[in-house]
Amino acid sequence: MKTYNFPFRKLLLILICLLLLTGCWNSRELDELGIVVTLGIDKTDEGDYILSVQVINPSEIATDAPTSRPPVSTYTTTGRTLMEAFRRLTAKNPRTTYLSQLRLVILGKTVAEEGVMPVLDLLYRDHEFRTSFYVTVAKNAPVESMLSIITPYEKIPANKIMSSIENVERHWAATKGVSIDKVIASIRNPGEDPVMSGILLLGEEDIGTNISNVENVDAPTKLEIDEIGVFKGDKLVGWLNELESQGLNYATGNVHSTVITHPCQDEGSLSVELLRTSGAMKGKIKNNQPVIDIKVEAEGNVGEVDCKVDLSKPEALEKVNKQAEKAIKESIEATLAKAQKEYGSDVFGFGGVIHRDQPKYWKKVEKEWSSYYQDVEVNIDATVKIRRKGNSTQPINKES
Amino acid sequence: MNQGNDQNPNQSPNKESNSFPLLPPLEDSLSHIETVLGKSTDLVIRRFAIYKTRCAVLYIDGLVDKNTIQNFIMEALMLEMPHKRVSVKELYHTIKQASLPIGELTEFTDYEALFKRLLSGETILLIDKEKKALAASTRGWRDRGVQESTSESVIRGPKEAFTETLRTNTALLRRKIKDPKLRIESKAIGEVTRTDVAVVYLQDVAEDNIVKEVHRRLDKIEIDGILESGYIEEYIQDAQYSPFPTVYYSEKPDAIAGGLLEGRVAIITDGTPDVLLVPALFVNFFQSSEDYYQRADISTFLRILRLVCFNIALFMPSLYIAFTTFHQEMIPAPLLISLAAQREGVPFPAFIEALLMELTFEILREAGVRLPKPVGSAVSIVGALVLGQSAVQAGLVSPAMVIVVALTAISSFVFPAYNIAIPIRMLRFLFMILAATFGLYGIILALIAMVLHLCSLKSFGVPYMSPFAPIQPKDQKDVLIRFPHWGLFSRPSSLTKKNEKRTNPSSKEN
Repeated sequence: MKTYNFPFRKLLLILICLLLLTGCWNSRELDELGIVVTLGIDKTDEGDYILSVQVINPSEIATDAPTSRPPVSTYTTTGRTLMEAFRRLTAKNPRTTYLSQLRLVILGKTVAEEGVMPVLDLLYRDHEFRTSFYVTVAKNAPVESMLSIITPYEKIPANKIMSSIENVERHWAATKGVSIDKVIASIRNPGEDPVMSGILLLGEEDIGTNISNVENVDAPTKLEIDEIGVFKGDKLVGWLNELESQGLNYATGNVHSTVITHPCQDEGSLSVELLRTSGAMKGKIKNNQPVIDIKVEAEGNVGEVDCKVDLSKPEALEKVNKQAEKAIKESIEATLAKAQKEYGSDVFGFGGVIHRDQPKYWKKVEKEWSSYYQDVEVNIDATVKIRRKGNSTQPINKES
Repeated sequence: MNQGNDQNPNQSPNKESNSFPLLPPLEDSLSHIETVLGKSTDLVIRRFAIYKTRCAVLYIDGLVDKNTIQNFIMEALMLEMPHKRVSVKELYHTIKQASLPIGELTEFTDYEALFKRLLSGETILLIDKEKKALAASTRGWRDRGVQESTSESVIRGPKEAFTETLRTNTALLRRKIKDPKLRIESKAIGEVTRTDVAVVYLQDVAEDNIVKEVHRRLDKIEIDGILESGYIEEYIQDAQYSPFPTVYYSEKPDAIAGGLLEGRVAIITDGTPDVLLVPALFVNFFQSSEDYYQRADISTFLRILRLVCFNIALFMPSLYIAFTTFHQEMIPAPLLISLAAQREGVPFPAFIEALLMELTFEILREAGVRLPKPVGSAVSIVGALVLGQSAVQAGLVSPAMVIVVALTAISSFVFPAYNIAIPIRMLRFLFMILAATFGLYGIILALIAMVLHLCSLKSFGVPYMSPFAPIQPKDQKDVLIRFPHWGLFSRPSSLTKKNEKRTNPSSKEN
């Protein structure tokens, strides 16, 4: 008995230590949690933070018999720091805010223009946040209003925005969903500047906050994904339009699929659906100046033909290829004109390309990259190959 | 109908006063026997005389085949014996050598042997003034006969099951294995019940030291009675305090014969259809004899499925508790919302909820086993409808919890061996408590402890977790994956090293 006692006691001690000396753990029942799906952050004129949280009401979302209560509730509070604001929230929200399921952060215009880094600190530091949520900017309305809109079809507005961003990115390539770790990485990287999707509020805010908003077939108040907001450092400096947003995505290889429309020879237009697109950037040094080669390769189908063109002829198809290549080039050039020349923001990550391809040169220019950046010479090369013409080679309205 | 037992008079555990020699005068003998048996009414004593020598035939009514006694003992002795004066010695020898047309006839000289034979259904012949007596094997009693197995049902393969009679059971094995090396070694265990126990193995396959170890452990047993093989299992198992079984049992002759061919040793106990098989490895409890009758591919699938079910049955409730109370961030958002919606208004914490439902299920299960068949359906109605559905409607438990408990319950019925479900049923609660206090962390700690414990177990010298720990690549052919029979080229190397080759792989077509 004595011989067994001693090692056993040691083992027990180790086990107790293992169980008691662990880090964060706390048991919380599901019905005690206020699951936050959207965070809105902005600043008052006095410099305090305005924090809005959108909490879901689970029994309204997963239920057989929905009542007239809204599926989400929004609480807004202020504080000198975000942490303080979060704790002050307990006075309004009956349940502990649970942030691990956060899908979306909407930053107010004031915060975005003053610099987002201080705001992102809490979101990145706290253990409860996942890093997979999208960071966006409210383009035309206060954040609190955006968080109060009840969206049709998707019960949780955050899900609506998230899936809209993903859909636009996948099928239209006119925006870019960025998660918080990407934002922070590109702010910290001297060779890159961050971008964020913008969100537009369409219609009257007063109608949108009411559940009757979704009782209409065409909801009068809607949230829409807008184009890309351009940052310099951590400050919002301007916006890209649709074409320029697509240009950014072409150059960075972020296009999954999109549509290129160009006019035909006489009248009408023709749309090409791009299916496989790859974009690559290479850095060179010419005359001690950095040069970037952008190479875009795309494959696509003819999607829609509104004009008289005989696609059974190889020359006609070749012409379509050329037109599409030109369109891609033009959109990238438009982006360059806006981001490089006007805003001076390295949204493409040219600095990173130089760093990767010409590390020695990068060491020299790293410190004053932003002054070099605006003079970087860019060569664009686009190749488009049309693979299929659809079920008919002739337009249906062709007069024979 | 006519059954009998192997008897070995030298190996009696009874060391009491009965081992003195027979008393020569017949009436003294008979009165002594009557006194010892307390004038039991089932003792039949038939006194008669051959010429002038008094004789007596004794048997226990109900244990003997009366036809045999009538036709081959009474008739032979009373009608066909020569009626002339002979000496007692001569008479005894004539009877022993020529007169009794009975297959099994033994001679004995003391009371210990007399009682043992008498009480196991033999007929005793006593002759006045003769110190030796004869016992004729006339065993025959009512038994159940070979019937379909009720506790281990199969779709394909033999349906027959062992019975309560040892001799029938050994015959069932002999019919499957017609090899002269099949050894059946018997002994009686239990000082009062003197239950016959047979150790069966294939001599040129089973390891000698395992056979020896089985005999050693059986000989060590000192107990008044053995009523079922479970008594023996608890004496000979390796890990007395482990919830995991280290002895396999089955009531199917084909499963036991399969074990013998792999080099295992079977222990048949008189009075029960459940035959023990040792050494038992962890994986054996997930293998059904049917695995070898069905095609190899579906058997492999089913074996993996059983292992998955083992994990579901053991961890599902605790994982549910851990995820919903500690690790909500690990649940995908739509699922979390749905779970959270179900939990709205449930008054208990998830742990209490799970504990309630699991206990309810265990109660239902126990009630279902105990209740007579006609009432059994009532239990399932009350259990399924009243408890399950009403508990959800009343908002006492969440529907997700009912699903978890139901899945757990069904999964614990998948295993071909009933006794592997027992540690699962008990450890499940331990895991649930740890999940409720420490979350996944607690589950992992307990899992590590459980795996360590499993790896430390041995069954008759063979590591319990083999062929996984220690890993034996050659034996993997018949663990998770069952190779086709032509690919099962050798016997499990952890069980036996003798006579390894099982098949010639090239004997298959193509």
